[in-house]
Amino acid sequence: MPKITLEHVTKRFDKFVAVDDLNLEIEDRDFITLLGPSGCGKTTTLRMIAGLETPTEGRITIGDRVVFDAQKGINISPGKRDIGFLFQNYALWPHMTVYQNIAFGLENLRWKKDAIRKRVDEMLALLKIEQFEKRYPSELSGGQQQRVAIARTLAPSPKVLFMDEPLSNLDAKLRLEMRTELKRLHANTDSTFVYVTHDQLEAMTLATKVCLMDTGVLQQYDPPLVVYNKPNNLFVADFVGNPTMNFIPGKAEIEGNVAKIEMLGKKFLLECDSIDESLAYVEPEKPAEGEAVEGAAAEAVVEAEQVQEEPVDPRRDVIVGIRPEFVRVEQGELCGKIYTALPAGMETTVKLDVNGDVVTSVVFGSVDYPADAEIKFEFVGNGIILFDAKSRNKLGMGKLTIGDKKPDVVEKVKKAATKSTKKTAEKPAKTTKSTAAKTKKTTKE
Amino acid sequence: MKKIKLLSVIIAIVLVISSLFVVLAACDNGPADISEIIEDGQKMTTAELIAKAKEEKGEFNAYGNTSRIAAAMTGFLAKYGEELGLDSSTAHASKQSDSQIYTLLTNEYISSNNSKAASMVMIQDGAQLVLYREQSKILQNYVPSTMKDKVDENDLVPLVHQYINKLFMWNKTGKGADLVVNNVWQVVDDDFMQGRTIYFKSPVNEQVNMNFLIMLTKDEWANKLAAAYKALYNKDIVLDSDCPNAGYQWVKAFVKKASFAINSDTTICEDLNKSDNAGNLGLFVLSKTRDLTTNNLQVAAWKEVENQLVSVNPFAGFMYPMYCQLASNGPRPYTAMLFINYLMEEDGFEPWAEWGAYSTNPDIAIQQGDRELSFWRNTLVIEDASYISNKKASVSDFVSGVIASK
Amino acid sequence: MLNSYELSRGRKFKNWLKNFFTQPANIILVVSLVILGVFTLFPLISLLSDTFKVHIAELMFEELRGSTLNSATGFHWSRMLFSDVSAMYFWKPLGNAVLMSLLSSAIAILYGGVVAFLITRTDIKAKKFLSAIFVFPYIMPSWTLASFWKNFFQNPDIGSGTGGMLYNLLGIKVSEGFVYGLVPSAIVLGLHYAPFAYILIGGILRNMDANLEEAATVLGASRFKIIRRITLPIVMPALLSTFLLVFSSSMSAYAVPQFLGGSSGFTVLTTSMKQFIGYGWYGQGYIMAVFMIIFGLIILGLNQYFTGKRKSFTTVTGKSGQISYIKLKGWKYVLAVILVLLSLFCSVLPLITFALESLCVTPGDYSALTFDFWISKVPVNNNGIHGVFHEPQLWRAFGNSVGLSVCCALIAGTVGILIGYAVSKRRGTALARFVDNLAFLPYLMPSMALGAAFLALGTPLGLNQTFFLLVLVGAVKYLPFASRSGINAMLQLSGEIEEAALLVKVPWWKRMVRIIFPIQKSTFISGYLLPFTSCMRELSLFTLLATGQMTLLTTLLEDWQTWWQQSANALNLIIIVTVLLINFIVNKLTGASIDKGVGG
Repeated sequence: MPKITLEHVTKRFDKFVAVDDLNLEIEDRDFITLLGPSGCGKTTTLRMIAGLETPTEGRITIGDRVVFDAQKGINISPGKRDIGFLFQNYALWPHMTVYQNIAFGLENLRWKKDAIRKRVDEMLALLKIEQFEKRYPSELSGGQQQRVAIARTLAPSPKVLFMDEPLSNLDAKLRLEMRTELKRLHANTDSTFVYVTHDQLEAMTLATKVCLMDTGVLQQYDPPLVVYNKPNNLFVADFVGNPTMNFIPGKAEIEGNVAKIEMLGKKFLLECDSIDESLAYVEPEKPAEGEAVEGAAAEAVVEAEQVQEEPVDPRRDVIVGIRPEFVRVEQGELCGKIYTALPAGMETTVKLDVNGDVVTSVVFGSVDYPADAEIKFEFVGNGIILFDAKSRNKLGMGKLTIGDKKPDVVEKVKKAATKSTKKTAEKPAKTTKSTAAKTKKTTKE
Repeated sequence: MKKIKLLSVIIAIVLVISSLFVVLAACDNGPADISEIIEDGQKMTTAELIAKAKEEKGEFNAYGNTSRIAAAMTGFLAKYGEELGLDSSTAHASKQSDSQIYTLLTNEYISSNNSKAASMVMIQDGAQLVLYREQSKILQNYVPSTMKDKVDENDLVPLVHQYINKLFMWNKTGKGADLVVNNVWQVVDDDFMQGRTIYFKSPVNEQVNMNFLIMLTKDEWANKLAAAYKALYNKDIVLDSDCPNAGYQWVKAFVKKASFAINSDTTICEDLNKSDNAGNLGLFVLSKTRDLTTNNLQVAAWKEVENQLVSVNPFAGFMYPMYCQLASNGPRPYTAMLFINYLMEEDGFEPWAEWGAYSTNPDIAIQQGDRELSFWRNTLVIEDASYISNKKASVSDFVSGVIASK
Repeated sequence: MLNSYELSRGRKFKNWLKNFFTQPANIILVVSLVILGVFTLFPLISLLSDTFKVHIAELMFEELRGSTLNSATGFHWSRMLFSDVSAMYFWKPLGNAVLMSLLSSAIAILYGGVVAFLITRTDIKAKKFLSAIFVFPYIMPSWTLASFWKNFFQNPDIGSGTGGMLYNLLGIKVSEGFVYGLVPSAIVLGLHYAPFAYILIGGILRNMDANLEEAATVLGASRFKIIRRITLPIVMPALLSTFLLVFSSSMSAYAVPQFLGGSSGFTVLTTSMKQFIGYGWYGQGYIMAVFMIIFGLIILGLNQYFTGKRKSFTTVTGKSGQISYIKLKGWKYVLAVILVLLSLFCSVLPLITFALESLCVTPGDYSALTFDFWISKVPVNNNGIHGVFHEPQLWRAFGNSVGLSVCCALIAGTVGILIGYAVSKRRGTALARFVDNLAFLPYLMPSMALGAAFLALGTPLGLNQTFFLLVLVGAVKYLPFASRSGINAMLQLSGEIEEAALLVKVPWWKRMVRIIFPIQKSTFISGYLLPFTSCMRELSLFTLLATGQMTLLTTLLEDWQTWWQQSANALNLIIIVTVLLINFIVNKLTGASIDKGVGG
């Protein structure tokens, strides 16, 4: 029943924009995580839905009820939104016993004494904290306090439960344990959960849908596996997944659904279902002469950009995103040196040095490799993602093959590989010169 | 356990140390032969005193219940400082209240190191002075050889430096214009005081005011009050059960009638002078009236009807002394005696020489417009220190009781 | 067998002792215990023993006539507590004092607490101005506010028979009960001590985790209920500390009830005590002091009980910037205007009246004004007092006062930091708690009695009339302020910061000077400001000790007040402006301020 809708919600603190034009729909019984680095506006978003923070603009609906509307001046107090809120530091009242803490919300609902007793007992049992009933919060450990906080939040059976990094103050083991229990709790309680975290693993494992935010802007709102496999942009791709995705810079020539990519000193072909070039970076209008760009400072800026810019090259700057699990070692035609190998028992993270670029691979099982050993590797799978380097958006996703021909001509490409490597090696010197020339030109214009 | 043990050890140490101080404080080194020195000094001329004073060591300190003692000290140093080797860094006079002076003296008296102790004091509270002179002998009387024959013999022991008077006055503007007060029973009479207030600093806060009230319970004044009552009402006074004599009766009536709302004589003077207070009365020091730019106040004792002074039956106010005394444990008794000589002379009296202050040295002329000390002796109540000392406890209980029931 | 056991026990104790004293915190605790013990227990003991002793002036009592000086007697106690006069001298003043103190505590807590709440928790306007001006009444000597109160509300029908400002301007006559007696005394004291409430309660509110309130909001509690059930209980320790400070200060306040006593005289313990001490009847006078201390101790005990271990009130500092201010809507202007007017009334208006009074040719008469009392190079009255700017007495006293206050503040502040360090390091131990409470005791001693005790302590040692003794008594009396702020500052500092330095063998003093002090600089320096301010306007504590050359501004002020009112008003203004100026400069240079000190 309680579906939460956010429409054009914006929150400004003075000039600082904490949340920018956010649109979000949270389905009933979803377990949503708001994920992002600190300061991205996720907590503010949560607090706005809960009513603890007043949005500057927009509209928030919980169920059938508009709880906030900037235009109509509606702002329903948090207490009347039928929600629960779990704070990062638990916010247990230090002057009340565990029992009093849990009973407080029920008292506000004017429950009868024995009903409160019964419900608190239920909660104490559910969270296995019966023996602490008469203690004060300061006499409990972090995990116990956390359970009390959960019990307090759940006691009035809120339709929606908000949680603000509730596990961040716990140690690793306890955190894992509580995570499992939270997910169980979600299954048992029929409530909608909205959960704020900066821990991508927590977000991925708990949520039915992840809402990823950065600097106040929604980046992606999808089920965890979609977020993982089909990140909308570089930020999402980078934030989600551990070890993180390989980002290999390259140049690409896009023809229809195929991109010819040059990277790691080799030529590759990426076949996608579709490539959406509209998401790519569009050069803005050049500033008028001598207006915006001026003098030595401007030259310095331009010079700094030279390395990335490839003016004479019609090809696009791209970044190819490859999940470590799509890098298979010990076979294939590519070659690298072992930089480090980090065996963790169940899997091993291998970092390869490929002509100065680092490529990370995950190998199932514990295998150790000596440092600096030469090793072969290849890119496998259909989940190789092409990002535009400037707009940072995902352009397409597909299968990566070596060479600049379609798979049927792969053999030839293989042969040419060594030659082309030589060519690219010579290239940088040329590039620098020509870029410099071009730069001068542009400034003149 | 050990912590408790340690704690108790520490506490024991603390107690031992603090009791050490108590023992130290209780050390009594007694007065030297101060009385002999004074007896000696009383016969000396100023030149002889200077010679003796020169030999003395330590600081020369004086306390006075009057801030003007500082000005007198400056004058003293200007006159004798060079000769005695004293200057403003080795000789000071500071203003302290009577009770502070007594506290300081008591502490200095038992101190083995008296180099900074006071050598003389100017003090008002005669009741305690009796005890400090006779019981603890912390203070000693000294009469300058030059004053022995000049000063009224009643003022010699203890030596009175000056008298200060507090007089019945009223605001003579408005309904005060034709007011005549010729009997103190008038100021406690309901009809007479109808619509009028009489201001008096609370005797609880002002020692001399309490002393004045105590004096009235003495038979001498009680009888005069009884006679004055008869003079006013043409009948004998009927005493309340709690009033042993007419003095108590008047005190009771006066305390009930008086307003204690203003807690300084300066403010009483200023406020009474304002037109708001037309026709109202006060009993406060005369000297405060000198600062008024327009004087709306009528001193009861100076009221003239058809060029005849109207005398107030039986008193027009009261007068209290300021005593000069030597401290027994002072490091410089001879300098102190010299200082007292100086204070008793005209230049030494200079800081106080104004309305309402009367030197006991008859050679010192009074201020223009004021009256001689002899005039006031006959019109005012004068403190009798030993009577006050005897009755203070009981009469102040009586007064406080009246105040509490107001 | 037994022997070796004994030996090992002795050795164990030795080792324990050695171990104990290698920790600087323990050394500080033990040293301060000894020193504080001497300086607080000695006055207490001598005060108590005085109530059983025959003093010379007490020979005036018939019952004691003929008894030897300093001999023991129970007469004082029996007369004060169980005689016909005990009601009027003791029980009634006690009742009045308790009533007045309760009322003034309530006013201070309510006024200061509400302002603290509005400033820390709502979007009220003019916050900066309000918090700057709010501490003014504490800086001013309390009687100045009392005298202002009287000058303002006086009406010709009562008291001095003259009209005050309110009457002269608007013709309003307020009832006598509002100008004299219990109510105005309590109000004036309440206003005077409201900054304590503001500082202490504001400090906790500022540090209090806003989530605690939000958690209750989410659970459907009303605004009122949140304040009652969550906010109030959490600021309870601050309320109790405020109560302790204000109550015991009001109990020992003399000037205000004396000033506003009214035509019948409103007696409290202090006025009664002062009367007896004035007569030299110390035994009976000090019984009142003993009761003032007992009341203070009871509240100190209550304070301990309520802030006891179980309900730990340590406030987790919440995420800053997330505190959402309560929206007052239009009220934020209305309340701001009311508060600004109120603080102008009790902070700025008195200053203006002092300034005006110092310009009057005749005191109280505003028709003719002159600057003579400020700038005249020739004496302005017949006792040779020049305009205050050219009065050598004043400048000598100024030097003494500032020097004394700075020294007291330095000593009290530094010792306070050390005690704060040691107490917070050894938190929870009996020793730390004991020292913590001991450091608070001097505050409960009435100034007059403490001054007398130090005189008795110093005179035999030849310390009377020395600057040192004045510094000592000032430092001891105002140590509680500094130790409070020291403890607060240290509790905010995580132990790891010092431990990090400890591991690389940084010596203790260097850790203090180079690490701990710089980090909490502004809170520590704030701990110096309160003793400084209090010393600058203290009179009764120093009056017995400030003899000879040691005239202070306040002793001079007391003296001038009886004779030269314009000069006295100018002097008073100089004291207040000096304190304000120094606070302002220190604030600008270091960021410290009085309100940071106790609140932390």
